[in-house]
Amino acid sequence: MPEPSEILQGTLDMLVLRTLSLAPMHGLGVSDRIRQITRGVFIVKPGSLFPALYRLEQNGWIEGNWGESENNRKAKYYTLTPSGRAQLTKEKRKWNKAFSAVNRLLEAES
Amino acid sequence: MSWFRRRPRQYEIDAELEACRAILVDRYIERGLSAEDALQAARLEIPELEHLNIDVKEVTMRTTIESCLQDIRYAARALRKSPGFTVIAILTLALGIGVNTAIFSVVHAVLLRPLPYDHPEQLAFIWSSFKSASSRAPTSGPALNEIQHRSRLARDIAAIWVGSGTFTGETNPEQVKVAFVTTNFLQMLGVPPALGRVFRKDEQFNGPPAIVLTHGLWQRRFGGDPSIVGKGVAFLGESATVIGVMPPDFQLHFPQDSNVPPDLGVFIPFEDDLSKRPRTLYFLRVLARWKPGVSAPQAQSDMDQVAAQIRGLYTDLAAENLKMEVAPMQRDVVRDLRTPLIALFSGSAFVLLICCVNIANLLLARASSRRQEIAVRLALGASRSRIVRQLLIEGLLLCAVAGAVGLAFGWAGLRGLLSIRPDYLARMPHVELNLPVLAFVAAVSLASALLFGLAPSFESTKSDLIGTLREAGRSSQTPARRTVSALLIVGEITLGFVLVIGAGLMIRTLTKIERVYPGFDAQRLLTFELDLNKFDWPERISFVRDWEATLAALPGVDAVGGVSHLPLGEYSNWYSPYRPEGLSENEAATLLADYRAITPGYLRAMGTRVLEGRLFDDRDRSEGKQVVLVDDMLARSAWPGQSAVGKKIETEHFTMRGIIPVWSEVVGVVEHVHNHSLSKRLRPEVYIPFPQTPREHLSFAVRTRMDPAALAATIRLELRQRDKDLALSKVRPMTTYVKQASAPVRFTAVLAGIFAALALLLAAIGIYGVISYSVSRRMHEMGVRMALGATSSDVLRLVMREGLVLTSVGILLGAVGALFVSRALESLIYGISAVDPISYTIAIPVIALAAVLGCWRPAAKAASANPVDALRM
Repeated sequence: MPEPSEILQGTLDMLVLRTLSLAPMHGLGVSDRIRQITRGVFIVKPGSLFPALYRLEQNGWIEGNWGESENNRKAKYYTLTPSGRAQLTKEKRKWNKAFSAVNRLLEAES
Repeated sequence: MSWFRRRPRQYEIDAELEACRAILVDRYIERGLSAEDALQAARLEIPELEHLNIDVKEVTMRTTIESCLQDIRYAARALRKSPGFTVIAILTLALGIGVNTAIFSVVHAVLLRPLPYDHPEQLAFIWSSFKSASSRAPTSGPALNEIQHRSRLARDIAAIWVGSGTFTGETNPEQVKVAFVTTNFLQMLGVPPALGRVFRKDEQFNGPPAIVLTHGLWQRRFGGDPSIVGKGVAFLGESATVIGVMPPDFQLHFPQDSNVPPDLGVFIPFEDDLSKRPRTLYFLRVLARWKPGVSAPQAQSDMDQVAAQIRGLYTDLAAENLKMEVAPMQRDVVRDLRTPLIALFSGSAFVLLICCVNIANLLLARASSRRQEIAVRLALGASRSRIVRQLLIEGLLLCAVAGAVGLAFGWAGLRGLLSIRPDYLARMPHVELNLPVLAFVAAVSLASALLFGLAPSFESTKSDLIGTLREAGRSSQTPARRTVSALLIVGEITLGFVLVIGAGLMIRTLTKIERVYPGFDAQRLLTFELDLNKFDWPERISFVRDWEATLAALPGVDAVGGVSHLPLGEYSNWYSPYRPEGLSENEAATLLADYRAITPGYLRAMGTRVLEGRLFDDRDRSEGKQVVLVDDMLARSAWPGQSAVGKKIETEHFTMRGIIPVWSEVVGVVEHVHNHSLSKRLRPEVYIPFPQTPREHLSFAVRTRMDPAALAATIRLELRQRDKDLALSKVRPMTTYVKQASAPVRFTAVLAGIFAALALLLAAIGIYGVISYSVSRRMHEMGVRMALGATSSDVLRLVMREGLVLTSVGILLGAVGALFVSRALESLIYGISAVDPISYTIAIPVIALAAVLGCWRPAAKAASANPVDALRM
């Protein structure tokens, strides 16, 4: 298993949005889910997670509401808003473009 | 303070972090940690809010201010980093703001500020108009009586006529302007006197006449005597009782054509019953106060009805189709100033627009050199709105400084304006930088900040991030930015062209007006006025004869004459009806002429030429045959194709029996004299020999070979020896009157010229900026071109072409705009067509020259580029 790495700058927002598009969840749930889906390649530390959540909420892409956690703890659950969904699509397209560009570059050089 | 309170949002984040820690603690305990360890681990994993990079602070007021301060500091630093840009931008903008401040102060003081009377919006003049008369007229005594009794909506109607009179007594005699008023006049204006009281409506003064002094006269002549009220003073040859003194800032604001000057000395009620005055003597300037809430159209229809009733009463007035025009005072007072001031105001706005265009261009250029910086900030996570805010704050900071500097410029400009202002602006004192003006400056600065600040900032945040970062300094202009620059230049040239055309038209008008021959020769002509009220008629006539002989005998004097009203003078005009022989009273009802009583030498002294017949001489005595001279305007319209000499004409004379129509014989025809305006021939003229109409005041014209000022001293001495009670007033060369008459046009022309010069300069600078920026971005391209065999002159031509194509487009658009502007200026233009070919022929090369000057240096720089250096860049 490779060393877990910090998430690339600029892709964190997309990952959070994507995760929340699956189901509403609280902050820790988001970071758990990202680690799980990327099989431990990316871990999101709380130090970047909470600012990201705050930023996304400020932008109106996600919406937080208080609810009960699995252990009957209070927790803030985030849901994707419609404009968040649109933003996710946009980010995905950008990512794909950049990704394939980088790939082409790598292939050309090899 | 509520700013410092933590906002609920922060509590909320705290709560969220705490909740997550609790969940983590649960998990760790589940994994077998002790509660204490679990808590510590959770604390380690989820930091306190303070240690998180969350900009929650942005939501509190205090921190908004803090971040704004931060932006301002940042902006100040950014501006300091490029002092060249900053200084040029601030100076340019300050120039635009300064020009607008100065002009707006005048516009505000003259056009916008309410007149200093009680409820000025209720006040309006009532002018009469007749079918054939070209200008509006005052009213006769009987007509005033009708208006006063028939109007239903007026609360009060008053009238005024300004003449002159002399104060005598212990000190030197002094001639002042006297306002003869109806007793309700001052009361109606509603300005309380500084001392005593004003006349009351329908008040009768038996015995000595009552007078109200203006503050200036009270100070000057009576030394501000606090107990003057109730005292008798020697005035108009008798003793008058002072009943009041007006406050220092009291002034009559009347339109220029009303002949009611602002510098009055004294108010005195009409002594006789005005309704008994002749019906054809139009001399009363009528001012009405409408009942509260009466609108201008209502007032007008009220007066329409009154006019209709009067027409029904008098057939001659019906034939003249007498109409009465209600002119709200506020507007009417400045009717002659509105157009030129609005034209100048628009001109100054154009200058400001050009300034903004220049700064927008500067900012554009700067924005592209800052694309790197902005891209980096965007990449580091700054939000787009934050960047726009930053750029906007930079613009606002620029504007704030420029606004302050501009205010200083404006203040200096205003001093300059006031020093060259024509008399008509002198009527409006207190032109100053006051609150409304400051508010205007702030608004203008802000609007310009938005105007030139926003466009470039949107432009630069839109730029694509990766592309910019990759360019790393080796950027060329984007096509979009070049288009914006080009548009700005074209706009600048267009505005500049319109201004140059406007200035050209005004300057051409000025030269035309200065070249008008006014019907006399103003050079080497000294004039002054005497009040002859204290003499009875025979004394008056003999005094004037002897006095003229004395003057003529003075060394250096070529000719002497006296006239009741000097041309282009300020004295209340005298005009009355006339009737050539053969016309019925009805047919002649609308014929009006300016009347002048003159001594035999007057027309010769003035240099007015005789076209036919003779001038007056010693044969024309009071008891002899009544004779008149007429001008060519009257002669041509009364006896077309015939000689006027020997014809009979009914004219109005001041005789011992009052003002009466007299049949007199035309003995000569002289050329028309411009009595009122250099640019217009208003009315025909009738001259009556002074002995046959010895008016109470006379202006003397002395043609001299020597310095008029030195001559004036001699004349003053002569007069004192002859009569201690007589006062010499308005001692000035005739050229002063001519200058005054052209002053409004000169004022407009000088300002328009300054605006046009500024516009040219700014346009040249603007073109220089854009082209040199474009050249610096294209040095590489130029190098390639030269490496491929282009010569320096090819490159020069290439760059010049870029500037000149934009200039031509601007000139083309400007010509279209100028056509509209010329139409708007039509009423200000004299002697040339609104589409004056000379103005256009001069404007085009002048603008083109400014453009060439602007392009030359950058083009030369491009052409002198070393291809190797250019390529290496």
